[in-house]
Amino acid sequence: MPFIDEILKYRSVSIVGLEKNTGKTESLNYIISKLPTDYFSVAVTSIGLDGESLDQVTSTAKPEITIREGMFFGTSEKHYRERTILSELYDVSDVTTALGRVVTAKALQEGKVLLSGPSSGSALKRWMSSLNNFGIDLILVDGALSRLSTASPAISEAMVLSTGAAFSANIKDLVARTSFVVDLINLPLFTGKETEIEISSFSDLSTDLIRNHSVIGVEGALTNRLLQAVKKELPRGEKELVVNDFTRIFVTSDLYRSFIRRGGRISVRMKSKLIAICVNPVAPNGIVLDSDLLCDTLSAAIGLPVYDIVKNREKYDI
Amino acid sequence: MTFKEIIDSPCGIRYCFDLLELQSGYARKYLLDSEMMTTAEEIEEAYASLERFTLLLEREPSLVQNLQFRLQGLRNISNTLVSLEEGSALEDIEFFEIKHLALLGDDVQQLFSKTEITDVWSNFDLDNIIRILDPDGLKIGTFYVYDSYSMELRKLRRELESDPDNEEVKDKLYNEEERIKRVLCNLLRPYSTELKKLLHSLAELDILISKAIQHKKESFTIPALGNSSSFEGLFHPEVKSILAQKGKLFQTLSFCYKSGEPGIIIGANMGGKTVALKSLCLCQYLFQFGFAVPALKAEMVPVENIVFCFGDEQDYQKGLSSFAAEMVRIDRMITLAESGAKTLAIIDEPARTTNPTEGSALVSSLLKILEECPNLSLILTTHYNVDSSARCWRVKGLVEEEGSDRLRMDYSLTESADNEVPHEALNIARKLGVSPKWLDAAAKILDT
Repeated sequence: MPFIDEILKYRSVSIVGLEKNTGKTESLNYIISKLPTDYFSVAVTSIGLDGESLDQVTSTAKPEITIREGMFFGTSEKHYRERTILSELYDVSDVTTALGRVVTAKALQEGKVLLSGPSSGSALKRWMSSLNNFGIDLILVDGALSRLSTASPAISEAMVLSTGAAFSANIKDLVARTSFVVDLINLPLFTGKETEIEISSFSDLSTDLIRNHSVIGVEGALTNRLLQAVKKELPRGEKELVVNDFTRIFVTSDLYRSFIRRGGRISVRMKSKLIAICVNPVAPNGIVLDSDLLCDTLSAAIGLPVYDIVKNREKYDI
Repeated sequence: MTFKEIIDSPCGIRYCFDLLELQSGYARKYLLDSEMMTTAEEIEEAYASLERFTLLLEREPSLVQNLQFRLQGLRNISNTLVSLEEGSALEDIEFFEIKHLALLGDDVQQLFSKTEITDVWSNFDLDNIIRILDPDGLKIGTFYVYDSYSMELRKLRRELESDPDNEEVKDKLYNEEERIKRVLCNLLRPYSTELKKLLHSLAELDILISKAIQHKKESFTIPALGNSSSFEGLFHPEVKSILAQKGKLFQTLSFCYKSGEPGIIIGANMGGKTVALKSLCLCQYLFQFGFAVPALKAEMVPVENIVFCFGDEQDYQKGLSSFAAEMVRIDRMITLAESGAKTLAIIDEPARTTNPTEGSALVSSLLKILEECPNLSLILTTHYNVDSSARCWRVKGLVEEEGSDRLRMDYSLTESADNEVPHEALNIARKLGVSPKWLDAAAKILDT
């Protein structure tokens, strides 16, 4: 049973996909099916709408989220009314979504539900803290369509990443792009006491500021322009950029790599733990990659175990 | 007039509203939607409750804290209660909400049962409602269509457990659940009025507690109801807090007025005339919405209308200049006053945006025609010399600081027999450090 023991160490884990149809929901269902729910209390929700039986963008079949007996789940009022499983209502919150308020319930039997939880990061955080009263050990968050924001360490402690042919149909490219994201997730924690200056946008950054300081805090997003400006000053001295967490970094991999090659450093104030990577070798347009080759190449590139949950489900179960 | 309509009045009542430690969004909405009280009886009753809660806060602060904690769970379920009353089919979510409300009410009643202070809460009979939605007597705020509602339900659920794909059982189960929900609706319907009352009482409780806290914390006072209005130690809480941040003290005011006797306030620029008017207006609103007021001691009279004309009121949308907007507003006030409705009108420097000759004529005549309205309390400030027998209050103005020859502003208001306006504008401008060249030239013109 790969990586389940690892998940149990954290209080909140988000499952995020690098693209739609990378098997995120499959991964979530796999995790749910393997959790020891008899002595472990689990709550699951999704940011935004998820768990619909047909993918709304590509109309491909999409597995629903299967909730096990005793598990808590957060979904919208609308989908709660439409549910088919027996469940006990625990809370009707004042967090609202386009589909009504977010409700929290405990499943009294196993079954499939549509999860459409809080639609923003801050609403999600509020919902998560509202669970404090119910003695939850682990919260699983299904991140929506290519949104990494739920994986922010400000929201969840650890993450499972899903990637696959839908993200890129070329193994080499897929590995390169995925390992770039992994590099960002694994950026080192900032170890200094405090940064010399704090900037909140590119306009704050005059050449003098960059030249005169070596440790620069970035309050908002780290963008290509900003990184480029700092890169130019690298020959004149060491530079370290400190961002809040990896979800605030919006730079191309080329620029990032060349910045690092020239001796620049980027560190984060908060770090998420990447537990595992799941792959889906099938893309909605019919392209199928070689699953074993993909897992091996990716695993070698990032130094972490990579799983194809669908294909190797039985193998992992043994 | 609702609280919502006056919350952005320039008198600064929003500041007092924001200071309230309301625990639920519903109480906030309830207060904003509440109507202004206009009779002495209503206000007296509201203040009697506020007194009791202030006493409760002093004697049993932990009880109040507990109540506040519970009230965080108050949700607005008015729509659900309307559906219940109208006989719509309710679902789990609505039953949950009703149960949650009833249990919250029960919690609050339990807390109140221990206090010795009487008349803080009138009990509701919630036992039946709770029994309907909590058939197992668990007293937990969760809900589903419980097995114990019917033998049939229990049987069908078991059957489905052993044969999850049996469509016939699924149908039967669905029908049985729907039947039970209908029965629950019928059982609960007779209590819909009681539940509505409970919902309102809980919102009122939240509001009262936060008013009591404000009363204590901000050193406000509960005014007495009388035949005329008078204040001692009057202050404007927002201005006071701004001054406090700068390490300065607010100089409190004493003032009184009466209907049928217009009053004018004259005095130097920067003498606090506008702040005085704002404080008076603020107190009147707070009074008529049952808040304690920012003063050491106060006596007040309820009115039917409060009119506050203040500052630059240009209205682009109606195409009115500041003068026109002001005239229209004062005209409306005159109509109100002449209709005989009890009105408090507070006007900051009327007609100040026009020439002094016509301006002072307008102000003098306004005072003259309004003298004949016995139900109008009028207070205005002006820089014009007006010909009127109105009571006149004067800002003390610049006085020499004790032990030095420096000037400082004394903001206190004193009643004065003559209404000759002060001529301190140049001195004040000098104190502000305005170009002496300009001010000397002005002084020269005055001398000739």
